[in-house]
Amino acid sequence: MAELTYLQAISDGLRIEMRRDKRVFLIGEDVGVYGGAFKVSLGFQEEFGPWRVIDAPLAETAIIGGCTGAAIMGMRPVAEMQFADFISCGWDQLVTVAAKQRWRAGTPVPMVVRLPSGGGFSGGPFHSQNPESSFAHIPGLKCVCPATPEDAKGLLISAIEDPNPVLYFEHKHLYRRIKAEVPEERYTTPIGKARKHREGDDLSVITWGAMVYTAEEAAQQLDADGVSVEIVDLRTVQPWDKVAVLESVRKTSKVLVLHEDTRSGGFGGEIAATIAEEAFEDLDAPVKRLAAPDTPVPFSPTLEKAFIPQVEDVVAGLRELAEY
Amino acid sequence: MATETAVDVVMPQMGVSVSEGTITRWLKQEGETVEADEPLLEISTDKVDTEVPSPASGTVTQILVQEGETVDVGTKLGQIGGGGAEAPAPAAESEPAPEPATAEAAAEADAASPAESPAPTAPEPSAAPAAAAPAAPTGNGKAFVSPVVARIASEHGVDPSQVPGTGSGGRVTKKDILAFVESGGPPQEAQPAEAPAQAQPEAPAPQAPPAQAPPPPPKPKPPAPAPVAAGETLPGETVEPMTAMRRGIAEHMRRSLDTAAHVTSAIEVDFSRIVAARAKLKKEYQAAYGVNPTYLAFVAQASVETLRDYPYVNAEMRGDSIVTRNFVNLGIAVELAEGKGLIVPVIRNAEGLNLLGLARAIAEIAAKARNKQLVPDDVQGGTFTITNPGGYGTFHGTPVISQPQSAILGTYALVKRPWVVEDENGNDAIAIKPMMNITLTYDHRLVDGALAGRFLRDLRERLENWEGDGE
Amino acid sequence: MAIAREAGPVGSLHEVREAGLDREDLLGVYRNMLITRGVEERGHILYRQGKIPGSFYTGRGNEAAAVGVATAMGPDDVGTPLHRDMGVHITRGVEPWRIFAQYMGRQDGPTHGRDGNVHMADSQLGLIAMVSHLPAMLPVATGCALTFRIRDEARVAVGWFGEGASARGDAHESMTFAGTRKLPIVFVCDNNQWAYSTPTHLEYATEHVADRAEAYGFEGVVVDGTDVLAVYREAKRAIDKARAGGGPTLLECLTLRMEGHAVHDDAFYVPKPLFEQWAESDPIERFRTWLRENADLSDAEEDEIAAGVKKLLNDSLQRAEESPQPDPSNLTQGVYASPEDLDTPHHK
Repeated sequence: MAELTYLQAISDGLRIEMRRDKRVFLIGEDVGVYGGAFKVSLGFQEEFGPWRVIDAPLAETAIIGGCTGAAIMGMRPVAEMQFADFISCGWDQLVTVAAKQRWRAGTPVPMVVRLPSGGGFSGGPFHSQNPESSFAHIPGLKCVCPATPEDAKGLLISAIEDPNPVLYFEHKHLYRRIKAEVPEERYTTPIGKARKHREGDDLSVITWGAMVYTAEEAAQQLDADGVSVEIVDLRTVQPWDKVAVLESVRKTSKVLVLHEDTRSGGFGGEIAATIAEEAFEDLDAPVKRLAAPDTPVPFSPTLEKAFIPQVEDVVAGLRELAEY
Repeated sequence: MATETAVDVVMPQMGVSVSEGTITRWLKQEGETVEADEPLLEISTDKVDTEVPSPASGTVTQILVQEGETVDVGTKLGQIGGGGAEAPAPAAESEPAPEPATAEAAAEADAASPAESPAPTAPEPSAAPAAAAPAAPTGNGKAFVSPVVARIASEHGVDPSQVPGTGSGGRVTKKDILAFVESGGPPQEAQPAEAPAQAQPEAPAPQAPPAQAPPPPPKPKPPAPAPVAAGETLPGETVEPMTAMRRGIAEHMRRSLDTAAHVTSAIEVDFSRIVAARAKLKKEYQAAYGVNPTYLAFVAQASVETLRDYPYVNAEMRGDSIVTRNFVNLGIAVELAEGKGLIVPVIRNAEGLNLLGLARAIAEIAAKARNKQLVPDDVQGGTFTITNPGGYGTFHGTPVISQPQSAILGTYALVKRPWVVEDENGNDAIAIKPMMNITLTYDHRLVDGALAGRFLRDLRERLENWEGDGE
Repeated sequence: MAIAREAGPVGSLHEVREAGLDREDLLGVYRNMLITRGVEERGHILYRQGKIPGSFYTGRGNEAAAVGVATAMGPDDVGTPLHRDMGVHITRGVEPWRIFAQYMGRQDGPTHGRDGNVHMADSQLGLIAMVSHLPAMLPVATGCALTFRIRDEARVAVGWFGEGASARGDAHESMTFAGTRKLPIVFVCDNNQWAYSTPTHLEYATEHVADRAEAYGFEGVVVDGTDVLAVYREAKRAIDKARAGGGPTLLECLTLRMEGHAVHDDAFYVPKPLFEQWAESDPIERFRTWLRENADLSDAEEDEIAAGVKKLLNDSLQRAEESPQPDPSNLTQGVYASPEDLDTPHHK
């Protein structure tokens, strides 16, 4: 075991796979010589060479489409979007070609797209988004959102192994702020399985990504009130672990779905609807959602704090639920 | 111009994912003056090493973090102007971040400007939190039942309006109803395996433990809910909450007595023949069928036959009508273990069973009752009931009719008594006879005393003239 | 002012031999063109009979361009042909009955009814199924070429696009990437002069699409798309060059789209004289004439070939008609690939 930051865990996972399987290669803007905008691939080009750590032109369509073609040809490409926000430039390739190829033409497309996502540091509207719900909606794509360093490494390895296009949302604000013990060997974390982050009896919080930590802090405050909060870290948004979520709902009967993405059309709606449909008779309160308001991500810290769900917001939401 | 008021010098954020920085060199010391924008210190971060320009002109009044120390972004490093060595101004939180924290920005190291961080205003009640959960339902919170509470209520036959609610608006919460069910509350319907209430708790007999009780009719609303532990207890008093079953029994007994015109007639029966028959059959039945032919089974068989001739004793009043049947669904009162209560499972179509069949059926339902395996169907639809409180030696009783039936038969201790018989000369003599007192408690609204008397006479006839192994 | 090289026609059989085709090969090329046209003509009939749902697209007039390029491809090369390139599927060996089944949405079509028209491909034959968003397949073809470069394989990717699609960013990005990295890819532009109802001057402002190649750092060639041998020669040259590490080429094949954009379109916006002019340059007719004049194609041979094609198509049609409708209960299967999918060699 070693203590690694969330970012180091990602690098570790990628490095292990690139050493193990020469079909794996990394392509993105500034990933080679510069080591990546966030330094995830620092030192990689030196080790693997310029044809396995490829500095792409500023051309997301070429990157994503190129990975699609390479995957079809038997490679295991890992694309890095410099910011998750730029996936919109490569949206067509992802949704039109990669997502549908297996279903309609029988051709699997085993590729990974790494997406530094999330805000909290004044990144502004174009460097802070959490676009997972758009892609969770497209049949054929998988979306994973690790919150812990251990899961970051294991999920990346699983994503590379997976024969489908997997979108890997790495939350930038966790990169260096979160450190934890991570096993040194190669291991996989199953895609589609949630992790019980915290056991509790009174309220359930269903969440993922950086919000797991916000929920944790809020839960600690509620402990003091004598309210025991359970936190389920989904880890994968598509396909999501419905069984684990419903189990938690049945236990506590009061649930808050929390995500950093905007509220309308955010993936929390899908989860809330499913809970209402399948656990109606286990609910002791309406299913509550807490998410960012329906605006682009603001730049100024004062505004950004009013946008991203804060610990106080989660505490308030949980207290309301508890008192219902 | 130099600042009079204190201006904080804080660790800037040199890039989106940077969370801390290290001071490599202070370019000014405490007491020295500095101009706004003049380089004040040098720092090193993951991304880049850079100079930090002073946020204001004035004197460096405080240096709080030393060279070589690493601190989080936003930490106050020092102060320009104001007093010296005061308690530090409220530290900024982790992200004061004035600059566009992009990778590109990180590359342009010199553009970095220190964050100004006046204590950040507490975030407004942000737009972030979702709409408030609706205050529990309009008006009477008690009247609102959430889905899970409704489900638990229905599973346990509990009326939520009887449950004390601690939720918003007085709403009954899941916790409230679970607690209520645990500690007891009047159940309404016959429940799977749990028991609807019974009437009089009488003693059970060893073998066919009866107890009398009318099974509760479908869904009556109990008028009297359990009082929430009220008042004070006197020394020597212990308070325990009533179980659901007890409440049910209490309610049913009261209602039955308030409904029917209870009259009891009794008759003494010579059980000699039965005793002999039983002695003969017992071994055979045990060996061949694993069943014990109890006295109750004999009585049950004789009763069912007799009921054929007295339909009113097996009838029901519905409104202005009298409903008679060509079948007998025979209820047998069973005491549950440890005096927890009574239940009256029903043997359907008892008229089609012979002694063996009845013996078996009785044994079976008694076992099911005691093992909590009864289902609602097992305790519903009875047309006539037999209770056997005689196990403890009592010789007489006045059981309560199980609504909506019209009668209930009670059997008592089988006792050897001295009895006047006629000897072979026609003279009176004393013999020792096994005698049992049997009562019929009947609803005089429907069954008159004479009818009851004739019923008992015929029943006695059958029992005293028992032949064979019953058919 | 053109920048691209304008390729000349092909002359003698000798010249053709130099380019690598013998007489047998030539007859095979002719046959493939006949089958291509035959499939699409039958398709028209099926469509009007109501047996083909949705829409129906043909590449009438593009037979030489498609067959010519495909003939120049090596067995391990891969391609992303489009809806005017039925000739590529035929040349690579796709059986016509499967194409009819695909048109009719039947179970035995390559996509089992999940996609229609020519949105199909036999991966075993090195073909990747197209999508409707064009030229979305160019970045994919570029990715294939990237793979060959990474793995140091002597294989080439061929990516098709129309002159209309050349307006989209996918074309630019693919060529930028391929050009900067000298990837082994040939970009084939089917310039049939009309993108639905939009003429070329509204799609690009240069004289030729191929003029752009220079801006991406490689050669652009314009060729008469109705001359199958010229197309073949240029395609071979470009493919060989790529295979040898010489980087991309943009090969523009000039034709006229002889029918509407799709079967529902009568192409009223195309000036009649243009149709008449290009009709005289019908690719099959041209080649037939060339074969008669330069390769001694006899009546008997011609009849034999025609009869063989006719029989093949009739048999294929019958077989396709017997293919069942797809089973709706399978609809949700296969959205996601399983690890086993990767074990099956589909693409190498």
